[in-house]
Amino acid sequence: MVTTPHSDETRQFRYDRETVDVRRVLLHVFRALEEKGYDPVSQLVGYLLSGDPTYITSHAGARTLIRTVDRDLILEEIIRAYVDPQAPASAGEA
Amino acid sequence: MGWRVTLGSSTFSPFRIKRHAGGNGTLPTLTVEGGTPLKGEVRVSGAKNAVLKLMAASLLTKEPCVVRNVPRIGDVFNMIEVLEGLGARCSLDGDVLYIEARDLHPEAPLEPVREMRASVQVMGPLLGRLGEVKIAQPGGCAIGARPVDLHLAGLRALGATIEERHGFIHGRAAKLVGSEIHFDLPSVGATENIMMAAAVAEGETVIRNAAREPEIIEVQNFINCMGGRIRGAGTDTIRIVGVGGPLRGVDYTVIPDRIEAGTLAVCAAVSGGDLTLRPVIVEHMELVVAKLAEAGAAIEVRDETMRIWRKGKLKPLQIRSQPYPGFPTDMQPQILAMLTTAEGTSIVTETVYSSRFKHVDELRRMGADITVDGRVAVVRGPCELTGARVEASDLRAAAALVVAGLAAEGETVIEGLQHLDRGYEDLAGKLASVGARIVRRVPSEAIVP
Repeated sequence: MVTTPHSDETRQFRYDRETVDVRRVLLHVFRALEEKGYDPVSQLVGYLLSGDPTYITSHAGARTLIRTVDRDLILEEIIRAYVDPQAPASAGEA
Repeated sequence: MGWRVTLGSSTFSPFRIKRHAGGNGTLPTLTVEGGTPLKGEVRVSGAKNAVLKLMAASLLTKEPCVVRNVPRIGDVFNMIEVLEGLGARCSLDGDVLYIEARDLHPEAPLEPVREMRASVQVMGPLLGRLGEVKIAQPGGCAIGARPVDLHLAGLRALGATIEERHGFIHGRAAKLVGSEIHFDLPSVGATENIMMAAAVAEGETVIRNAAREPEIIEVQNFINCMGGRIRGAGTDTIRIVGVGGPLRGVDYTVIPDRIEAGTLAVCAAVSGGDLTLRPVIVEHMELVVAKLAEAGAAIEVRDETMRIWRKGKLKPLQIRSQPYPGFPTDMQPQILAMLTTAEGTSIVTETVYSSRFKHVDELRRMGADITVDGRVAVVRGPCELTGARVEASDLRAAAALVVAGLAAEGETVIEGLQHLDRGYEDLAGKLASVGARIVRRVPSEAIVP
């Protein structure tokens, strides 16, 4: 949730995020994109490069879910899995 | 002379207003009585600036296309006229638009094209599909020079021959071939036009210094769902692998309108109200939200719902419009109107369009203290706005006058509603539903039987 407490300072926006399983989020979003007829890889690449959730369908709550993970964490996870496929997936704090 | 007075959305239809209704008192007006805090929930319509481009992109296929979450606004009806004039069959059922462009011809109808700038977006698809297009130089809001040079330069780079004579653009291309295009400016329309033409060209096209608006991602998503191969939208480099042949039909739902959401948020702030807007994609309006918060609004976002309310007096701001992701020029008039009520001096700089302070004269008639020097407006607040008879000069100027009317003491009568109707789906009805005292008056002779 983004909140803007009323004070005299410039408001700060912050998503309150819980620890999330990056792989679980990616798989859920991947499936949602697939179900809506998108190329999931292309859409996720577009999202990671631009940061714009227009790339992610709202189907099955995918757009909401992807927002719970920072993009750099997703990229870290992907690179880690690519370089060392045996490494266990990490649960990152987004 | 009879009048039809409407409060809600039940009788709203910009399409039913005669195109050339006018003369003494025969145009629709909006009467706003200020001073009521807006409270409640408002549904945000689909994005105008996405829908119009997707309608043009639907010309890339002979198969039926379905576009959902389409706002019932003047520009959509105008674009339907353009597509039907080209030979397509269109049907708008609620918010679902069906388009079938089986048999097309290359000459766009004159009247709707001259009224709407977005009609120029059919150039790319027609060149790609038919190898020819003939279209009048487009019209649209009078907010400064917006030449189509970049569109034409891009299409020429793909191999089209284009002549501009007697107010018409005539393009021909035996075949379109991919190319590398570097825009001097990140033009939204030119980026989209080239994407559509290049999608069915032969070979690869790279657009550098591309515009990055969310609506461009919508065009990419739409074309890719049709079988196209585009990547990079939302960044400054877009790569299009032309499929060199026909695309297929698509069923697509449009994103919410970030400018409508921003306008409603400003209405909440200026009225001292408490509005919940949904759906919104808050990432598309981060700067608007940040500026509203800086001015003293409180904002909560959960998923695709945004609540905005105001607790204290509004504070002055410094605003500078810029291409996305900067502060949108399409929000400058509305926020400028809001700043007339802020406690102190605000500075608003318009860097995108050369002539986008036409609303200032009308705001002054309501008591605003605003000085304009070139592209900079200095707003000295707080002003005691009072209702007056004012005239909108363009789409967002009309919205700015509604914002001022909500803050003013007494009755504001806004003329020039054809501008408002071009881009807002029943704004008066939506505001009335959350407590605004706002009435649309339509003289009976202006309504198409």
